[in-house]
Amino acid sequence: MSRSVVNRWRAAAVNLGAVIVLLVAASLLPPDTSLSDRERSGVLKLCVPQSFPPLVTGDPEMPGYDVELAGAIASEMGLRLQVNTLPAIGRDYNPRNWSLTRAQCDIIGGGVADSAQTRSFLQTIPTDSRTGWIGISATGTMPETGSVVAVLPGTSGLDRVALSTWLRSQGLRGQLVRSPVQLSQDLASGVAQTAVTERFLANGLELDPAANKAFWLESDHFAPVSTALGLWKGDQTLKRAVEAATTRLEASGSLEKLRKRYGVGAELTLTNP
Amino acid sequence: MTAIMLLRGVYAVWLREITRATRDRAQLIGGVSRPLIWLLILGVGLNPYFRGEVYGEVRFVIPFTYLQFLFPAVIVLNIMYTSIQFAVSVIWDREFGFLREVLVSPMPRRLILLGKVLGGSTIATLHGSLVLILARFADVTLSIPQMLTALGLMFVLAFGLTSFGVILAARVRSFEGFGVFSNTIILPLYFTSSSVFPLDPSLTRTQMVTAYPEWLVFLMQINPITYAVDALRGVIIGFNQFPPAYGLMVIFGMAVVFFVVALIDFGRS
Repeated sequence: MSRSVVNRWRAAAVNLGAVIVLLVAASLLPPDTSLSDRERSGVLKLCVPQSFPPLVTGDPEMPGYDVELAGAIASEMGLRLQVNTLPAIGRDYNPRNWSLTRAQCDIIGGGVADSAQTRSFLQTIPTDSRTGWIGISATGTMPETGSVVAVLPGTSGLDRVALSTWLRSQGLRGQLVRSPVQLSQDLASGVAQTAVTERFLANGLELDPAANKAFWLESDHFAPVSTALGLWKGDQTLKRAVEAATTRLEASGSLEKLRKRYGVGAELTLTNP
Repeated sequence: MTAIMLLRGVYAVWLREITRATRDRAQLIGGVSRPLIWLLILGVGLNPYFRGEVYGEVRFVIPFTYLQFLFPAVIVLNIMYTSIQFAVSVIWDREFGFLREVLVSPMPRRLILLGKVLGGSTIATLHGSLVLILARFADVTLSIPQMLTALGLMFVLAFGLTSFGVILAARVRSFEGFGVFSNTIILPLYFTSSSVFPLDPSLTRTQMVTAYPEWLVFLMQINPITYAVDALRGVIIGFNQFPPAYGLMVIFGMAVVFFVVALIDFGRS
């Protein structure tokens, strides 16, 4: 390169270099105090429902995938995990009525779907266990047009409107049920030919695994999604630290062991509780 | 003149714009200060008002944080300022005689304008991409295809807005006049482009006008920058408030229409 060309671009390169260094330095600034607050208190608070197997079980020996995962993350971050079990979670379809606040929870677990609906309220960190709408029937398929389908939507944040629209487009009549017990009864008594519910809710159904088959429901509007840990919107530095800890756990193989231990992969099984 | 000579002419005009802009520290400082002010000060300052306090209760119902929502809009703001203020260089060249010297050359006027607009667009795209350095701060993750698509859209948008700057320059006779003109155009266009607050895509028009006054919704919907910001949001954070094709049509439409009008104006000058 000739000296004149070097001289021509020297000033421009110096100016651009200074600008880039300044912006890179600015990008390293912490955008909030969420991580430093937790580090000061030494505690990471996880809010979970009473039971949402296998993500939250209430069993001290095997407390659940989300509880153990959050414990490992807290440990990686040098914090102590405090699990707050809140019976209000899942009591109502509207999460607003659960009254979960920043004061109670740093992270929300136990059945948070990584969906656009959830991300309207929380930031999410996918945990690699799969959830979504599943069908349960004797044949392992959806019934013919005009049949009744019992629907237990649950509280994970899956898209209920998309499910309802899809059921109508298939010519099926969705019948809302209020509890796993009612869903099991409707299916067993023949009131409904097929049941539709959230993947992990199916674990709480009293169904004969030999007589019923579970299958993923998939359409353009809803596919299985990952479950997630939910963090408050705007807690950017805490989210980064949790993601970094999760990446380290994945690299060490700890997460894979945890997934196998709780069977939270994509394979569907019905268990008789 | 052969095609090669004409291309060299376009290149020379382009290179002059690039050299001048990259040596101009004041312009570069402007390109840095805007993202710093908008993302670091405004974004972080307003963050507590948009973050969740109670699960299920949030005023800002979009699946992204406020910083993520603001990020593509700040890119557009940087492009708007640099592109439209490019007109200053046209006025400068006109006032100090450089334009006259170029215009008496055998180069066709349309190619001189093309070289200038390409130079302005390149600099505006560079200023827009400076904002991308703050992606980590805003928690925006970009893949290589996303980055390339965003840069492509940014360049076409910059081309249209630089042409718009030339149209303005043809109607303004002094530097002082242009300063006022640019502020009365850039900031109103930016603030009425759904840049700092969302039009909720899940709402019907009737619902939307209960959240915002109808005149504001109307201004946002007729503002072409609304669709440019929306197109970049679609690419960068995967969130569109309007059908994605609208943004592309508006960005490419602006580039063609403004360049043609700039050609007519430049030909007359």
